[in-house]
This record gives sequence, structure tokens and C-alpha cells, in this order.
Amino acid sequence: MIEKPLIAPESLDLSIRDAWRVQIARLPLSMQPALNQQVETWDNLFPFEQKRAAEFLHGLSSFQPDELATLTNPLHHLEQKMDLAHWKFSLASDSMTNASQLARSPYYSEWRLEVQRVFSAVETRARASAQFASTAGRLIIVVLPDALPIASIPGYKPWDSRAVEFRIDGDPHRIAELALNSSSGLPALIASQSAPCGPMASDSWLIDADAHLASLLESPQPAPTSLLQYAALKTFKDQFLSQVNTVPKDIEGTDQILAQMRHQDWSPWWPASLAGQDRLRSFVTEVFLSGNGALIFSNAFVQWAASEAIRRARPRLVVARFGLRARPKPFTGIAIFENQQRISALEDAYDPEGSAMDALILARYIWLSAQRYPEAQQTSCICIGESSRSVYFIAPEAKRPAWPSGIAARPEQIYNWMRNCLA
Amino acid sequence: MTLTRRDLMKAVAAVVVEQWAGSRHLAFGEDRLNIRRKVVLITCGGMRREDTFAADGLANIPHLHTDLLSRAAFYPVVRNSGVTSHYNTISSIFTGTWQRLDDWGKSRPASPTLFEFLRKLSRLKSEDTWLISSNKALTSQIGASAVRDFGPSYGANVIFPKQLLINAVVRAAAQGRAVKGTDRTAVQPELISMLNSDNYDGLGWSISGDASSLDTPTLGIMQQAIADLIRTSDPVTGDEFTFLVSTEVMRRFAPSFLTITFSDMEVAHFGSYSLHLAGIRTVDRLVFELSKLIQELPAYKDKTTLFVLPEFGRDLDGSTTNGFFNHRQNSDSTRLTWMLCLGDAIRKPQTIEDPIEQIDLFPTIARLFELNTFDLPGKPIPGMWL
Repeated sequence: MIEKPLIAPESLDLSIRDAWRVQIARLPLSMQPALNQQVETWDNLFPFEQKRAAEFLHGLSSFQPDELATLTNPLHHLEQKMDLAHWKFSLASDSMTNASQLARSPYYSEWRLEVQRVFSAVETRARASAQFASTAGRLIIVVLPDALPIASIPGYKPWDSRAVEFRIDGDPHRIAELALNSSSGLPALIASQSAPCGPMASDSWLIDADAHLASLLESPQPAPTSLLQYAALKTFKDQFLSQVNTVPKDIEGTDQILAQMRHQDWSPWWPASLAGQDRLRSFVTEVFLSGNGALIFSNAFVQWAASEAIRRARPRLVVARFGLRARPKPFTGIAIFENQQRISALEDAYDPEGSAMDALILARYIWLSAQRYPEAQQTSCICIGESSRSVYFIAPEAKRPAWPSGIAARPEQIYNWMRNCLA
Repeated sequence: MTLTRRDLMKAVAAVVVEQWAGSRHLAFGEDRLNIRRKVVLITCGGMRREDTFAADGLANIPHLHTDLLSRAAFYPVVRNSGVTSHYNTISSIFTGTWQRLDDWGKSRPASPTLFEFLRKLSRLKSEDTWLISSNKALTSQIGASAVRDFGPSYGANVIFPKQLLINAVVRAAAQGRAVKGTDRTAVQPELISMLNSDNYDGLGWSISGDASSLDTPTLGIMQQAIADLIRTSDPVTGDEFTFLVSTEVMRRFAPSFLTITFSDMEVAHFGSYSLHLAGIRTVDRLVFELSKLIQELPAYKDKTTLFVLPEFGRDLDGSTTNGFFNHRQNSDSTRLTWMLCLGDAIRKPQTIEDPIEQIDLFPTIARLFELNTFDLPGKPIPGMWL
């Protein structure tokens, strides 16, 4: 058991960092990279991640050596069978090389189960001594703008057995306007509820395929928000993409280049809206580096950034607004990972139908990603189809809309329902 | 067009080499065992059963479902029990053992490929076994194993037409020549120039046993396919070009064992579901056209068995691996897929519900070529004349 206080989420001095590394080294090798990376990049972690990591390490420190050995022996044995000690395996951080070696081991499935078992046991111990769970309401708002021709939101697949769709009686745009109003909007409501810690930007996320949501935020915003707009990130994204496209067809070389890109100074390319927001910049960098189309298609960025924000920050509010993507250009569309505006002289032409199909499944993916965490029990969701003039609600039983089915809901009613969800 | 002295020399050299290749063909042809049957094996990236052979997916595969299924032996339960990456999966199909290699194709398969067995035991010529691939995750290493008694000298011709196309477009853009999509002919010189360059390593090609340059017949095939591509009014996709090169190889060499991998549907990695489905529809059309071509070409008609199968599915909606984007989840959505067989070797059109594994293809195809003695984990699939 270490004697220094382990929970110090604000910043890490050297002695705490060293103490934590000692704790991490008690774990089997394959569990060390992710934790070491968290300690190393502490300042870029969101408060939720810092709290979780600190509590995990505190829980770990409470294990006596023989107790920990009993818990981790099966994983140690598995690592021996995998011959992990002789791999090119980075203990400093997660890497593609690590992931690739693990994934092609015949013991991969077994290994995943063992890691999960050890992690859960330590986390359970940590939770026993910590005050954790927040019971505050959470809300996901998905906006499918006018430009996306959508007949029905659950048309592709229903999102949830509790879901219900209503017509909108009035202007569908009004819903987002009310939700983001500077004084009476939802970020302001969350800020007012956030004592004693004070409002945190990571509690409210606005993620936009274009640059529309910012125009709804009146300035100055009384409430801190994490605002990511794909259109505003274009200059940075283009620079970043051109470097990503230099990675060799070699996994170790790729790891090296990606590590360089993480530490590179991209200051000239960041939008003004992210000035001084190192943590959010780091988040965008990680979203872009982790693939999933975020560097290529704006809607993939919206989905993946929202899913990662939910995983890493456990926010109370996520507003995700999808948009249009261009059609792959004739002939050059095969090089889809390239910057099509640079590579082809043709004007962009939008693909509304394809974009709508993409947005519908990706919107559902945001909802599904939120279902993986305990906070899902307090999470409601609303998807606004501006072209279909409909809204799709999912809510815990106590917060379901009270309107009779079949009626059309007014934007003001919907706004009041959203406030109620955050109570 | 002005013919420079160098062009003239090239033309003369081409004639000489062509004649030489022709004589070599005859010389080695005498030694060849009598192989009557032909096999075309098509693997096509990752697509989920729910997006293909399921109620909601049939609209994406009208040709497979409407035109081909009624003539096929259909295997609705085909399991990929290996590493669900492209290089490992395709290597496993080729070798009949689950391969666990570097995903990016740095190393050769650890056990001999069917290409090598066919070339060594059945004494097929180099132009009798081909892999033509759209998939940029593969490398030329996949055409032959690292096993000492086999290896590249018995390997397949491996070519990546899509990579050629992409490199030409990217190179043009990098040199400040943005491609005008309306004028396809603008790309043709770029492609020809790349074909005529000295080094194909960047394309990962391996022609006729690890040679570092394209021989004249192969160059001719590529040039013809490029010309066809420029003329066609169809949407240009990587798989379209792979298809054109494949048909040209079939016409010129009529290989006994031709494998093609399509990959347009892999745009799913970038998060566009609509483009992913469009990729599935392209493959559906190309497989149908290829099945028609097999019946049109005398070298293939009535003696060819066509196998079509996805490499794997894709991950479940809501998975931590981000659903359809990827194919690395240990779930039935990712591991279970299907296979359709047409032509010469099928006993009768039928659906065979018994589960099979992808590595069962090796002993099945080996038996079609009368190679029987292998100690491998897979077993020949039912429903075939073997």
C-alpha cells in the first residue's frame, strides 16, 4: 500500500506520478500500456477520466501482494503462453503494433476476458471506497438538418424499444435555438446545476458537421461548452490528412509517425475557437488518429467524436448535428482517403440521399454508444428530423414525454421536455 | 504521335520478348500435367449477412440472389475462425490453415499456398495461377509462402490494379495536376507512365515469381484494361478496374486458378454506410458479369467452378469497435459469412446448411485439381463433384 494520497486529479506532481507508475508495474504487462499512457498524458484527460484512473490506481494500491497475485495469476499465465515478454510490446503507451500482436494471438479472446476480469475486480474495490455515480439526467440531441431528405427517423432500424416518434407542430429549427439559448438554454442549465465543482466544458458538447451550431450560441456564452465544428477544423484537418497519408505500409513506421504527429505543433492550423484549449485539441487529434473516417467524412467525424466524448468525458449534454457529404468524384473517388478538393478540379457535388442514409445509421450509433455505460440509465435522447418535421424520443420511464401519441409537439413543449430530462 | 528512337527500341524489344515468352510457353507446356478444370475464386471484403443474404439485404445483391442463387450451391454458414484482417484471412483461404501474420503483409504465409502446390505438384506454368486484387491491405508476399521447398519460384502472379490507379491519380495531384474528372483520358498517360517506370515495388506487384518488372504480356494486359477503363461510361471504381484486368488475364492466359479480391465495400472503414452498400452492389454486378464471361470464353465454358465469398462480415451495431466500420469483433456478425459456388463441380443447385469453415476451401479446390494428400485441418465441402 502506498502512503501518498492517490487522488489528485487536478495535476500530477512527479512523486505522485512515480508512485502511480509503481502501482501500474504490479499489473501484468498487457495492462500497463493504457494506464501508463493515461499517467503520461494526464493534463489531456477529461475530469471523468482523471477521476476514474485515480480511483482505479487507488483501488489497485489497496491490494496486498498475495491478493493481487491471486487475481492476476491467470492473466500472467496467459501472457506466458502468448510469449508476450518477447514481443515488440510497448509498455509506455498503446500502439498499433501492440494491438496487432494481441489481435493475431490465438489466445486473444481469452486474453480480453481475463483483462476485463482483472480490471473489473480492481474497479469494484475502488468503487467501494469512492463516491462515484452521478444521478443527474443526461441528454443527447441529434439534429438531422433540412438538407438531408429523411422520410422517417427509425425507418432504417428502430433505435430502442422505448422510442416514439412525434410530428413537430411549428418550425423544427426552433428546437435547437431554444436548446442553445445563452441564458435559458441547456448548457446554461447544466452550468447552474454544477456546484460545487463549478461548470466544466466537458459537461456540454456541441459537435457539428458544418459550422451552424456556433451561430446559435449567443456571445458571450455564460456556460462553458466543448464546441467542435468540422467546417471550422478544415485547415487543420487538411494539413493533418496530408501527413497521415505519408505513413508507410509498415505498422511500426506508422506508430512512429503517429507518435510524432501527436507531439507536433499544429498551432498555425487550429481554428480560433480552439485557442488555448489544449485538452480539446488533443481530443480532436486523437479522434482523427483513431480512424473511423473522421478525417474523410464530416458525418463520420460527428459520430465518432460524439461517441468518444461520451466514452471519455461522460457529458451531461451532447448535441450532434449531421450534414451533407460530397459525392466521390468521378475517377478520383477511388483515392477516397485523399483530399478530393486538392486532387480533382471538379466542383464538389453533394449527395443528399447518401448523406441522409449515412446520418441515420450514425445517429443511431451515437445512441448505441451511450448505452455501454452506467450513465445510460439517466440518459434521454431526441433526434430532430428537420426535413421530416419529426422528433424521435427515447427516455427512461420517468421522463417519457407525456403527450398522447399521434399529436404533434410544439418546439416549446419539446424544449421543456429536454430541460426536464436534465433535472 | 512522334515515335522517338527510345520508343522504337522499346517496341522492337517487346516483339523479341513476346516471341521469347511464346517459345518458353511451349517448352514448359509439354511438361504440364493435363489440367482440364478451372477455378475462379472471388473474395470480396467484409460484408455482413444482414446487408446481403438476409431479408433487408437482398436489395443490395439482386444478381447474386436473383440470377445466380438458383444455379448455385449455396453455403449460408461459413465461418472465419482466424484473424479477421484482410491479409490473414486471404492467406488462410489460400493455405488451408489459419494464418497469424503481420496484418500489413510484411511476411509471407507460413505454410504453402494452393498456388505453390499447383505449380509444384501439377507443374502449372507461372501464367496459370493469378491473384488480382483491389485490396490495398495485401502485398505481393501473399502469392507464395515462406516454406523452403516452395516459395516465390512457385508463386502466383500477384497484381494490384486499383493501387496502380490510385497511385497515378495521387501522383498527378502531388505534381500539381489536379485531375479533371470529366476527362478520363487525362489519367491514361499517367497510368501508362507508371507502368513503364522501372520499379513496381511501390505497387507491391509480383509477376512470374518475384520478378521486379512487368513482362510484355502483363504490360499489354494492363494497358488494354486501362484503355477499356477510359472508354467505359460506368462509374470508375477500383473494383471495376480490377474486374477489367481480370477479364483481360482470362482472355489472354486462361489461367487454371484465378483468384480475385474485390474491396469497394471497404469504404465502410471511412464511415459511409451508403457507399459501403454501393460497393456491395458493384461487386454483385461484377460477379454476375464474370459468371457470364466464364460461359462465353471457350477456355472456361463448362469446365469452370466459381467460388464467391466475403472475407468476413462486419462488427455489430453498437459494438465498441464501431459497428459496420470495422471487422475485428469476435462475434457472429463478423465471423459468420456465406459462400456461393457455381459451375462445373457443383452436384446440383441447393442450399447446404451444414456449417463450413473458410479453410475448407483449400482441400476442396485441391481435389478439383486432383491433389489429394494434404494433412490440413480443413475438409472438402459437401455438395461438390470432387
